[in-house]
Amino acid sequence: MKVSGKLAEGSDEDDESLILDFESDSDVIDDVDNESVLLGRDNDVNDSSDSSCYESGDLSGNYLGFDQREKVLNPGFGDNTYDDDGVPKLNYNCLTTDQIYELMVSRLERIQPIFQLSYGDIIVMLQKYAWSEERLLEDWTEDREKVLVACGLEITKTVSKSRGIQNHSDFLCHICCESNKQKTFRLECGHEYCVECYEHYIKDKLPEGKIITCMSCSLALKNSDIDEILGDNSSQTLMISSIKGFIQKHSKHYKWCPFVDCNCVIQVSNLSSLSEFPRLHLSPYVVCENQHRFCFKCGLESHSPGDCQVAEQWVKLAQLESENLNWVLKNTKECPKCGVNIEKNGGCNHMTCQSCEYQFCWICEQCWNGHGGGFYECTRFKKDEKLGTAETKNSLRKYTFYYKLFSEHENSAKLDWNLGLTVEQKVKVLQENIGISWIETQFLSESIRALIEGRTTLKWSFPVAFYADPSHNLTKIFVDNQALLVSAVEDLSQLLQVKEPQNIIDRKREFYNKARFVETRSKALAGCGRDLLCKGICVPFQ
Amino acid sequence: MASLPKRIIKETERLVSDPVPGITAIPHEDNLRYFEVTIEGPEQSPYENGVFGLELFLPDDYPMEAPKVRFLTKIYHPNIDRLGRICLDVLKTNWSPALQIRTVLLSVQALLASPNPNDPLANDVAEDWLQHEDAAIAKAREWTKLYATRQ
Repeated sequence: MKVSGKLAEGSDEDDESLILDFESDSDVIDDVDNESVLLGRDNDVNDSSDSSCYESGDLSGNYLGFDQREKVLNPGFGDNTYDDDGVPKLNYNCLTTDQIYELMVSRLERIQPIFQLSYGDIIVMLQKYAWSEERLLEDWTEDREKVLVACGLEITKTVSKSRGIQNHSDFLCHICCESNKQKTFRLECGHEYCVECYEHYIKDKLPEGKIITCMSCSLALKNSDIDEILGDNSSQTLMISSIKGFIQKHSKHYKWCPFVDCNCVIQVSNLSSLSEFPRLHLSPYVVCENQHRFCFKCGLESHSPGDCQVAEQWVKLAQLESENLNWVLKNTKECPKCGVNIEKNGGCNHMTCQSCEYQFCWICEQCWNGHGGGFYECTRFKKDEKLGTAETKNSLRKYTFYYKLFSEHENSAKLDWNLGLTVEQKVKVLQENIGISWIETQFLSESIRALIEGRTTLKWSFPVAFYADPSHNLTKIFVDNQALLVSAVEDLSQLLQVKEPQNIIDRKREFYNKARFVETRSKALAGCGRDLLCKGICVPFQ
Repeated sequence: MASLPKRIIKETERLVSDPVPGITAIPHEDNLRYFEVTIEGPEQSPYENGVFGLELFLPDDYPMEAPKVRFLTKIYHPNIDRLGRICLDVLKTNWSPALQIRTVLLSVQALLASPNPNDPLANDVAEDWLQHEDAAIAKAREWTKLYATRQ
């Protein structure tokens, strides 16, 4: 993989630099490889004559098969090395379904000479074989007749009528049983039905992404037929559905962006480096074109400082507990003294805990003694939730504690997202009214991004804290780091509640400083969390 | 009620004028898309001499969408579950608008003649069928006698 990538890149450069390049890596690539690389490189002259060229196995295969695609997809393809922070490098592309389809079609030219069929026919076959050229070619070389019949490109007994839309004066369609039909459609099989029925039939089938056949037999409709019946480019819908099926099938290489209404697909080309991540308690994060950051392994949003295991366990637990918990959170409050969950099923706000007989106010959760106001009102302001008292005894209570924090920050992240949208609008107004350039307002979008990333890190730090051993010193440091990030994030969030847009430019430095601070704190917390995982202090359990 | 498509009218007429042997399908008075169906158990099958009641409904999108068919009579069969739902390709993925009510009902009758325990819907029945075929067939016969005898 590594070699072919380099070859693809360096093929236009002079030979010497290429050789030097490989020599510097000579501990990785042995002599045979080196030779074959050079032979492969001059493959115009003798690439198939020398058997040693093929001894190194998939190298030549990669060169022929893989690099062409790689060139199109990822011009900056490099080594599978690590970046400055010791994170394995991931080579990936952000694509849309249309782009993936275009890539598939761009390969037709290469394989067309093998089949000697029209592009339309080959597309039908590829669709049947879920876009796997290899499997198709395998079957094709074995028994091409069988493939053609299976794909609906040939029928065993051909009636051999003309294909396409036909005109009649009075045709009885056997699907709708209406007579006086003038426009009909048929394939070579001779099964003929009115165009209206065909339209309806095809429209229903387009989202399935499978080959659409004649209504009576297995003869396939090609894209040109679909376009002829439904109007131009309708077959594109079928192709996109088919590509979606392809992505589903190849979920190892392709993942949908998990964010709502985002249609990006991420394709990772160096899968081998994916396996490096779990060992290091890191996650392969990718960023789509819309700046959504998510984990390529588990498909969840960015869940640093936790690794995939923590995230997956947490989500599983949340699903198990959520129904109970949501009800409990929604309908009960804990007794301020003994912590038992109390459901208020009527009556006034003067509560008496049945387990410890503590009397308190339902609204402010304070002792009833000396409580002002009436029985149905509370004059005191609701106190803040206590942070950091992780000394909980039973596991549900412990979980509830962290889950509350987790979901609170999840909500805040949603609010911050909306905040980002309003700030963006304000910035637009600024640009128009005061005439500030786009570049100069970039600090705002950067601050928003920092805020959201900080918030996400914070949110996912609670599962780590939940699974960590609370008595360990590193956990205490982790909790301290959490608190620091909380205040940094809240500061920045406060700052972004822009009240006076006109003064905003003067406070640019403040924005930069606070955003940078959030970034450093996020990084520190992530590092600390990873430490907990690497040292086995945080162990996700069922 | 929206007027009935010509296709449904034609099919109904033909079901009445030229009925399939061993099968009856009568549209409901209030809803002409709802059919009360009976199928006689095929000869030399465990369902021989039984008469099974079914319901058939033609959805709005018929014939683009397959009719919905369900057994009302209790039956011991690996491809029919306790609720009477049928596992049959032409009712699902292999439906084509060129098929008809009569062809579907013939397929159901054929399914009674040749149960397919390798593609089961009722797992317990299918397991029984694969492990102790004779006993399963005897049970199917017994159920036919118990639940599907014409009164």
